[in-house]
Amino acid sequence: MLRQIKKEFQLLWTDKFNIFIALIVPPLVVALLGVTANIGGSTSNPIDCVLVSYDSNTFINENNFTESNLDDYNAKYVEAVNSSNLLNLVQFFNATEDIYAMETARNYLTSKKIKIIIAIPVDFSELLTWGYPGLIDCITDSSDIKKIQENLNAVYDSIKIFVNQNNLTPQFEVSGFEEFSIPEDYSFTYNYNMVLVLSFMVIGVGMVSTILIIVQEKPIARLLLTPVKRAEILSAKYITYTCILIVQDLSLVMSALAFGLYLVGSVFDLFLALFILGFNGLAIGIFISTFSKTKTQANQLFFGVFLILILLSGIFIPIDAMPIYLQVIAYALPLSHGSPLITGIVTKGKSVFGFDFFTLLGVSIFLLITSYIIFQRRKYEV
Amino acid sequence: MENSSPSDNTMVLVDNLTVTFGENQVVNDVSFNVKQGEIIGMFGISGAGKTTIIRVLTCQIEKKNWSGNVVVTGLNPSKKRNHSKILSNIGYVPQLELLNLYFELDPLKNVDVFTSTYGMNKKKARETAEKLFKILDIPEDTWKKRVSRMSGGEKKRLSMAIGLIHNPKVLFLDEPTTGVDASKRYDILSYLKKLNQHLGTTMFIITHDLEAALICDKTAILRQGKLLEFDTPQKLISSLPSGGLVARISIENLDQKVIKTVQKFNSVKNVLRVGNETIEVLMENFENNLPKLMKYLYENEVKIYSMSRDIANFRRFFQIRIQEEEEKENEVIISKINSEGVIKS
Repeated sequence: MLRQIKKEFQLLWTDKFNIFIALIVPPLVVALLGVTANIGGSTSNPIDCVLVSYDSNTFINENNFTESNLDDYNAKYVEAVNSSNLLNLVQFFNATEDIYAMETARNYLTSKKIKIIIAIPVDFSELLTWGYPGLIDCITDSSDIKKIQENLNAVYDSIKIFVNQNNLTPQFEVSGFEEFSIPEDYSFTYNYNMVLVLSFMVIGVGMVSTILIIVQEKPIARLLLTPVKRAEILSAKYITYTCILIVQDLSLVMSALAFGLYLVGSVFDLFLALFILGFNGLAIGIFISTFSKTKTQANQLFFGVFLILILLSGIFIPIDAMPIYLQVIAYALPLSHGSPLITGIVTKGKSVFGFDFFTLLGVSIFLLITSYIIFQRRKYEV
Repeated sequence: MENSSPSDNTMVLVDNLTVTFGENQVVNDVSFNVKQGEIIGMFGISGAGKTTIIRVLTCQIEKKNWSGNVVVTGLNPSKKRNHSKILSNIGYVPQLELLNLYFELDPLKNVDVFTSTYGMNKKKARETAEKLFKILDIPEDTWKKRVSRMSGGEKKRLSMAIGLIHNPKVLFLDEPTTGVDASKRYDILSYLKKLNQHLGTTMFIITHDLEAALICDKTAILRQGKLLEFDTPQKLISSLPSGGLVARISIENLDQKVIKTVQKFNSVKNVLRVGNETIEVLMENFENNLPKLMKYLYENEVKIYSMSRDIANFRRFFQIRIQEEEEKENEVIISKINSEGVIKS
């Protein structure tokens, strides 16, 4: 028995890289989680918002038809928002002068630049002056249901500050409007989970199907003793698996829609989003396969890489809350762009062609070129 | 040793080939040539440099690692632009079938994979495949079954067919009989001969299976990167003392002392132990000296069970040649040690 154990250790020792991955990657992942959660995750970042004010600081006295100036509570509320640690005022729009203010603000919301639009109604200052409860309208990005309450809490925080700073009665009414939320006749749970699952699935399946295609194909060495070029061998693999990916994505889109996915954007955009995510999965898989010397190495690397992809995807810990160096890595990883890209299309009706898509395209091209270089230099002997 | 002189029908020309990896010289000034239609056997124990030579010939080793003049099917592998043409002109059958066959595919699909790399027409390729499968007795019912379900011998023959599928000018075979049981080894060799006769393909076999010499037109013996011999097996055997005549003698209690006694006989050139109680003896002037040897052994109280005479085969020639080389090297080492005064000190 002892000799058998010794033999196993001896065999294990023949592949030191494999041992390295097996022993180093798991604690590395734990460390990474620790770093992201403890350093970055302990403080939440303020929520980006814009203020659109319709409040006019003049009014006409109904009794004597004279114009009067009121206290400018509008400016004071802006001050309160600026004082709140939970909100980050990206821009203030004076809608009394800028008729496109709300439209611009909505564009910000669609493009993920902000999470909340706080709208100050026309009679805001008047009502407060006369001792009526204050009114504030709030439009929140509801594509992520978990964040709605967080957004509203931030607005209430600004109101609390406003009330305290101006010695007002704490009577306030916030009218919340959910933007990009799922209609009632659709399942929110299905939509929310599907957005997550789709990106995980296409990247994961792409990786799993390709991690062994180079490392386990023994006759490649013999094929290289024919006039075939290395680039042809690798291109053939890319093309074949891309064809599979297209069919897979088509079936995914169709089945997701058939089972009630609420899709605001176009089907083609959703397909293209899944395609570029899946292509990144393929590119990572092929990269691992060209890089690995043995099947075990490839499997270990797959496990390690996939864990890191998930960990830095922003699902567990928001990317913006991570330390800057991890943010750079996170934004270079495809899974971080999966959920925002699909959410944008599914719930906001955004076009696929945006920052996330082009980042994914860039990453996949980089991996593709790197795989070609590694495969070109890989030693094969018959 | 035959000089390597190129001619129109030379398929492989190797002139002063030296291969070096770092400070390690694995092939040392090797020269030979292979003519169209010949079967060449390159023999040597592991580490002799056989595989390295075949790798140079099949464009697997970069030019920076080798020097000398090498021409394969009229093209020089030192130039990268020639690689594609050389690889079109040659076939290769590796030692292990798993390197040459996709086990998950059937034989005909394997044919499609490899023929597509040569740009062959699919229909024509299948016709060629069927012709080769028939010559190699690959049963028709296996043609559309997964290769993984074929027997070891069938896989070996299929591997040969794949090597020949594009009708190459030269077929390189790496240890074609390794891993095949004794009875099948001769089958494999006879199939190779059959293919050579039917197709006229030049074959270059590297092996340590000395039985392969049976089908070779010329044999090369390599040792530690040096080419010791290159000629027809018959010529090599006839270069032995008395044209390769051997006396096979069975002796009671055969040991080193008895062997030394035999070696002391004047005309004895080589004594090879070929069995537990059997030696083979080569000597000058065989016919005259054999009775004298018998008498000498009797006088030295060596008890003989039986004695027969035979002609040495290539195996014996190989053993003798390697033995001679080892003795030479030992002498060099001893003289070197003596000259450095190691023994004295």
